[in-house]
Amino acid sequence: MNSPATGRSLGLLLCLNCRATLRDAKLPHSRCPRCESRVHQRKPHSLAITTVLVVAAAVLYVPANLLPVMTTRTFLDDEPDTIMSGVLVLLQSGSWPIAVLVFVASIVVPLLKILALAVLLFSIWRGTSRHRLQRSQLFRMVEFIGRWSMLDVYAVSLLATLVQIQSIASIIVGWGAWAFGAVVVLTLIAARTFDERLLWDTAPHE
Amino acid sequence: MSPVIVCPSCDLAHRQDSIRTTERTQCARCRAWLQHPDGAALDSAIALALCALILLAFSNAYPLVTMQANGNSRDTTLIGAALGFYAQGYASLGALVFLTTVIAPLLQILALLFVLIPLWRGSRPRGQHTLLRVLMQVRVWSFMEVFMLGALVALVRLAKFAHIAPGIALWCCVLLMLCLSELTSITSPEQLWRWVERSRE
Ligand SMILES: [Zn+2]
Ligand SMILES: [Zn+2]
Repeated sequence: MNSPATGRSLGLLLCLNCRATLRDAKLPHSRCPRCESRVHQRKPHSLAITTVLVVAAAVLYVPANLLPVMTTRTFLDDEPDTIMSGVLVLLQSGSWPIAVLVFVASIVVPLLKILALAVLLFSIWRGTSRHRLQRSQLFRMVEFIGRWSMLDVYAVSLLATLVQIQSIASIIVGWGAWAFGAVVVLTLIAARTFDERLLWDTAPHE
Repeated sequence: MSPVIVCPSCDLAHRQDSIRTTERTQCARCRAWLQHPDGAALDSAIALALCALILLAFSNAYPLVTMQANGNSRDTTLIGAALGFYAQGYASLGALVFLTTVIAPLLQILALLFVLIPLWRGSRPRGQHTLLRVLMQVRVWSFMEVFMLGALVALVRLAKFAHIAPGIALWCCVLLMLCLSELTSITSPEQLWRWVERSRE
């Protein structure tokens, strides 16, 4: 079987900004004639940059889940809440659809994103050509669900702003929220620096 | 050699004559969308963008929610939610919330209007390339729909020990979210550049 005709084999280049197809681009210092943004055959240093971002996100995922995202201070005591204990509070108060929502968006989605990106990076590093379609679809899922993990950061921002009743109850933001926001931002950037086409650059598997 | 469409997700080359521009077409190998159909009208994109701009103004001008507990009443606006983090010493988190709920939607709408209105009037817009580049970057960070869900979670948690009254801004945010998602879908990069190229002919 011949290897299929690709943009690279035909000397064509796609501008990812405006989707123009370029011929005879003078790499690596070329700009798109239509939109003037920089063009590359593949995103530069995609593997290295994405790996660094994913590792950083994986490290921060630990404090994001262990440290309290907020502490409820009443005149009796301080009650710290991690993301998981927040989910349990919602579950006990009977709002289980919201509890499931927070659990999926805040705990499952970031973990899934980190693991999926790690698997994809590893498969490219090994140069495997198996399950390319599935891996490509996995990446698109990561891209699609990523933003939803910001949900709890927004919830905490509203709670901490509203619940400031002098001496009766106030909500204090914790470092867990910071770590959590950082995980979301890092994984979002990682999904953008990852070049999906690297998954297909290996020779087709017979 | 016939014109070629290169897949943005796997680099496979497709012959253009095998693809009709009126249809959304998938890549034969990786099933990514190769192109979005040419169909949206410039006027409706401008109308939607103006609508979104007004809704964004209302969303920021009025309180999002009002909370009453023990005879105390507190409310917050969209910007207030970001300032809440800032006030507690988490400036970077406040900036992230501010960027994703106020700045990114605002820039997204303004950049579109600054490009589309001159196109509609038939004149050559200034800084078109830069504006379109900014638009593509900023769109990724516009999280209105996620914010709405986050607000829902916060309201459910508060409803247990306080009386919660949703404000006008909350409803404006819901409409803004719908407006922005429709706007994004009818102004794909291909569509924007189609309009630009048509104006140059
Ligand atoms: Zn371009
Ligand atoms: Zn493809």
